[in-house]
Amino acid sequence: MHTENQQHSPPASSDQELVLSSLELDQLAAAKKRPIPRRPLRGFEKFLLWSLRIYVLFMIAVVLYQVLAGAR
Amino acid sequence: MGSGKRATTSLASPPDETIERQGTDTSGQETSLSTASAPKLTTDVVITHEDIDRAHDRERVFAARARRGIFSRLRLLWLLVGPGILVMLGENDGPSMLSYAATGSRYGVGFFIPFVVLTFVMAVIVQEMTVRLGSATHRGHAELIFDRFGPFWGWFSMIDLGIGNFLTLITEFIAIRAGLGFFGVPPWAAILGALAVLYLALVTHRYWTWERITLAAAAFNLVFVPVALLAHANWREVGHALTTWSPLPGGLTKDTLLIILADIGATVTPWMLFFQQSATVDKGLTKRDVRFGRIDTALGAALAATAAVATILATAPLFVHHMSAENFQAAEFAQALQPLIGRFGASLFALGIVEAGMVACITISTSSAYAFGEVARRPHSLNLPLREGKSFYLVLFLCAAAAGAIVLIPGLPLVYVVLVVNVIAVLAMPPALVFLFMLANDRKIMGDLVTPPLVNALATGVVIFLTLAGILFGISVIAPNLFAFIGGK
Repeated sequence: MHTENQQHSPPASSDQELVLSSLELDQLAAAKKRPIPRRPLRGFEKFLLWSLRIYVLFMIAVVLYQVLAGAR
Repeated sequence: MGSGKRATTSLASPPDETIERQGTDTSGQETSLSTASAPKLTTDVVITHEDIDRAHDRERVFAARARRGIFSRLRLLWLLVGPGILVMLGENDGPSMLSYAATGSRYGVGFFIPFVVLTFVMAVIVQEMTVRLGSATHRGHAELIFDRFGPFWGWFSMIDLGIGNFLTLITEFIAIRAGLGFFGVPPWAAILGALAVLYLALVTHRYWTWERITLAAAAFNLVFVPVALLAHANWREVGHALTTWSPLPGGLTKDTLLIILADIGATVTPWMLFFQQSATVDKGLTKRDVRFGRIDTALGAALAATAAVATILATAPLFVHHMSAENFQAAEFAQALQPLIGRFGASLFALGIVEAGMVACITISTSSAYAFGEVARRPHSLNLPLREGKSFYLVLFLCAAAAGAIVLIPGLPLVYVVLVVNVIAVLAMPPALVFLFMLANDRKIMGDLVTPPLVNALATGVVIFLTLAGILFGISVIAPNLFAFIGGK
């Protein structure tokens, strides 16, 4: 477990060296803050996502039915 | 992530794997977007405690990989296994083990033995994609859906997962309470004990320690094997069932079909996808580790299938002795088995149910916390010190604590809750599977780890099969007479 003292002290140079030699650059926590660009969708993919939207409505209806039927 | 310290560092010798990630593939396309979003080689690099902890874990992997010999290979395997075993044994949760127990007592040794093995084979095919996604992108599943498909689907996945996980957590605490109830432990003590174990696994604030503690607990899932041995399983019948997929007592009735559909639909549940990918990232696996990630997943499936089959075998004597077990819950199963396998065997069974609930409680609440952190852009790692990962640990612990508290409410319709959980879990899978499939085929983020054509054909078949089973099960809920033509009740 890290101590308060450790949290406020800058990383030791040996730690920096270790991190930079052991981790890929996009494994660093800082790198993960940058979002990956949005995917441009093509014809079939658009169709698929619209189908999913319809499915989600179906799913919500089924779950609500289940909840209400059980509550009766 | 979290409040890291800025180390102005020039990266003179980046790891080989980083170099591999850059450049173009044979078709001249960009191989990775995530590399493009990483810090430049010669720029300021913000280093956090999370990075340092992960780097220590990776250093041990590099050291093991550098050595030759069987023991070094085994050590490397030991260092790299974890997410796959945890996700598979985590899926053998309280309700699942009770479902296997009910199957054994209702159908005996027959069709459901090979069927259960098949469901785990399908689970491996699906979960393997999360290993590749996590290793290639170093991003969690929720994060990738949010970034690649937009906030609507990102938040939808998160909320869908959150609700499903919370309700599932309730069923895990029901299992823990029932299992410990066999030993006379009062419900409040059972819930508090479970929360204490969850807290102990977290208190080290270190992914590696958390993973090893949880793995040790998960290994106890195999307690159902000695129970099956005590039940004197007929191995000849097991061999016959595995080769012929029979008998199926009563034939294919409407009820049996619904059980099969629900089981297929629940082969992979949303939390499994989110958990394994996020754990793969948190563990720090890279492209070079994918082979071991696959072994980890297959090993986990083999262990989980063994425990599942053992549970069916353990309760099969209830079928053979024509004992009705339709209404048995966790403790009642142990009590029903006691005349057949003795107090010791029955105690092991009850402990197995407690373990199943406990491990699932840990993994499922962790998957909720990972997903929340990924979508809300908050720090999310088991390597975070408490100060830096307040929201992560808070979500993780509060989800579990709230679910545990609900189980203590007197008169709660527990059977109803379990039913709703099953419906939500099965219905929530199609969107999760579609996104998983699209992401695993996304060359921009996967680079050369994009799903190969042959595996893609197999994965497509499994995804379509699982999706249709889920949808059919959903339809059967609102139209129970749909399958009436098949016969049965």
